[in-house]
Amino acid sequence: MKIVNEMKGACMLVSVEGRMDALTAPEFEKACADFLDQGKTNVVVDFALLEYISSAGLRSILASAKKLKSKGGDLRFCGLTGMVEEVFRISGFQAMFTIVPSFDDIAGS
Amino acid sequence: MRRGISFRLTVLVLACSSLIFCIILGYNYIISRGIIVRMAEEKGDYLASNTGQRLAEVFSSVSTVVDDMAQSLENGALTEERVRRMGGQVLRNHPEIFGTAIGFEAYRFDPYRKYFAPYHYRMNGGVVSTILGGDGYQYFYMDWYQLPRELGESIWTEPYFDEGGGGALITTYSAPFYREENGQRRLVGVVTADISLGWLQDLVSGIDVCDTGYGFLLSRYGAYISHPDSDLIMNETIFSRAEELGLPDLRELGRRMRKGDKGFVELAGFQGLESVFVYYLPLPMQHWSFGLVFPKAELFADVSRLSSVMSGMGIAGIGVLAGLILLLSRTITRPLRLLTTAAREIASGNLDLQLPEVSSRDEVGELAGSFQTMRTSLKSYIADLTETTAAKERIESELSIAREIQMGILPKLFPAFPERSEFDIFASIEPAREVGGDLYDFFFVDDNHFCFLVGDVSGKGVPAALFMAVTKTLLKVVAETGLEPGEVLAKVNDDLAEENDSCMFVTLFLAVLDVRNGEVRYANAGHNPPLYVQAAGAVEWVPSACEPMAGAMEGMTYSTGTMHFSPGDRLFIYTDGVTEAMNRDSDLYTEERLLEDIAAHPQASAAEIIREVDAGIKTFTAGAEQSDDITMLAMTYLGTTSAK
Repeated sequence: MKIVNEMKGACMLVSVEGRMDALTAPEFEKACADFLDQGKTNVVVDFALLEYISSAGLRSILASAKKLKSKGGDLRFCGLTGMVEEVFRISGFQAMFTIVPSFDDIAGS
Repeated sequence: MRRGISFRLTVLVLACSSLIFCIILGYNYIISRGIIVRMAEEKGDYLASNTGQRLAEVFSSVSTVVDDMAQSLENGALTEERVRRMGGQVLRNHPEIFGTAIGFEAYRFDPYRKYFAPYHYRMNGGVVSTILGGDGYQYFYMDWYQLPRELGESIWTEPYFDEGGGGALITTYSAPFYREENGQRRLVGVVTADISLGWLQDLVSGIDVCDTGYGFLLSRYGAYISHPDSDLIMNETIFSRAEELGLPDLRELGRRMRKGDKGFVELAGFQGLESVFVYYLPLPMQHWSFGLVFPKAELFADVSRLSSVMSGMGIAGIGVLAGLILLLSRTITRPLRLLTTAAREIASGNLDLQLPEVSSRDEVGELAGSFQTMRTSLKSYIADLTETTAAKERIESELSIAREIQMGILPKLFPAFPERSEFDIFASIEPAREVGGDLYDFFFVDDNHFCFLVGDVSGKGVPAALFMAVTKTLLKVVAETGLEPGEVLAKVNDDLAEENDSCMFVTLFLAVLDVRNGEVRYANAGHNPPLYVQAAGAVEWVPSACEPMAGAMEGMTYSTGTMHFSPGDRLFIYTDGVTEAMNRDSDLYTEERLLEDIAAHPQASAAEIIREVDAGIKTFTAGAEQSDDITMLAMTYLGTTSAK
């Protein structure tokens, strides 16, 4: 798994590539914890290049979201496709998080 | 024998130093040899020239004496007394002259005497005189008299045995002398001086030519005039000798000497010697040739001595060097050998072994220090490892016990409700190697409502197992209160989410069957949609409202869906361990394959469906390691009529 992040306006855009499973999910959680430490609580995750997400990945998303929200921040998602979108749909994540097709939709709002 | 460091070091250093030695010695030898050879050649050349010169001096002094006598006899009165006295005088003043004669023409000195030739010669250390000539010795026909007389000039005769005098082997210088008579120059006689070849031989032998070298004289026709072997003198020529010895080189030398050349040659196999050098030069006056013979071995004795001394020094030096290197390398490698033995001992498990003391402060000392450190670290590491392994084994055994307990809380007895004919239920869980969090359960809420569920806790390990146990307990407690499935999940979600800092969650599918009419009410918390298999064979996914999994967040609500089962309709619930079962190429089993495998067996009972799907998964994964729990539950509604 590869994580690339950059500041876009007030948002921290995080692109995740590869597989997010029990092995790699802690990296994502660590990255989100770092953003929190830096006070960048408004995080948008781009999953366009993510191939696979396991339940451990979902758990790390939940845990990160909980921490960010407790500090008044937010965790939003864009670029969901294929298997990742299916998992988000079935697991009800679509109901729990703000999900948009692409980052531009957030910037526009 | 093993080739150790000391051996290799010795060989290497010796090889290098021998090479350097050889190059230096070889170079030195070649240069020195060149110098010595040149010196030897110069020495030979010098000796030969010197001897030749001395011989020439002797001959020239003799000829001068004779010429002076001839001159003197051409003037003044020719009295008998003067003529007789002259010879004795000459012999006294010139030790190199053996004898001297003054021969007169017939009747020229005294009209009454045909022969008149007073001859003085040496005998037994004194000088004796005689008058030559007579019918027995008509000297007019001897070479010494006839040749100068006829040629009108001074000559050196070939060597001959003197019959007139002492019978010695001599060579004679003869000069004619004349007087003016009636205005005419007329021959009066011949004056001679003899040189004894014996005396010449002594002169030549007196030359110091090494130890076994010698000089020799050849006549104009190649006959030996002077040679240390007196049998050869006047008996053999150099050519007959070459023939006799089978030496063509000697013949060639003879030719050159006869021609009056000057030079030097090397002759092989001469006189039993390996090789000799011969320096030769002509004595033009006599048409003789002088040769000087040097044995090569003797001439080059210095070179041989030089080479043997140098090789001796080289061999001794290399020997000493070898000894030193061997000693040095053994000193270096001895602690290494001790360490090697100690290391083997340590390798065989004896960690308490005392390492050999190495006091040197070089690399070997450092190595010994490192060995000591290694031994200590190894010892403590092995102790740690033993402890850790014991701890790990304990944990693993506890984990496996936990696993057994976890599996033990799932109902395993089938048929589960033999007294109920309205439905048939079968479930299976195939745990992965690592403790997982799959669960299933079924129980009667009341007489007519049968609850069954499948869940999958996120993550693996002990946390997942604990969370699963809590979930299962909560579900049963809450479901038994008779709430709608959606309400059950909402309540369970709230309970789980409370104080759930680790954000663990569980996906759940929970259904309640009314056994009287086949109505199935269900709720889904983020779980994979189950399959609805109709009695007629049609297979479809149970629609999902896509509601979130339980435990993640408080306050979620879940909707309850309703289906109406006809007798023979079946419901197949599973966890993602089924659809995400992987083969060796990391391909997933997928929902599509599941659908196909189930559709392929439309009449299968609950147990049969699960066995078929299980077989399908096994065929697909073909022995690849299972990474997640595989949990399946199938329920067939049989209807109330069949019970009656």
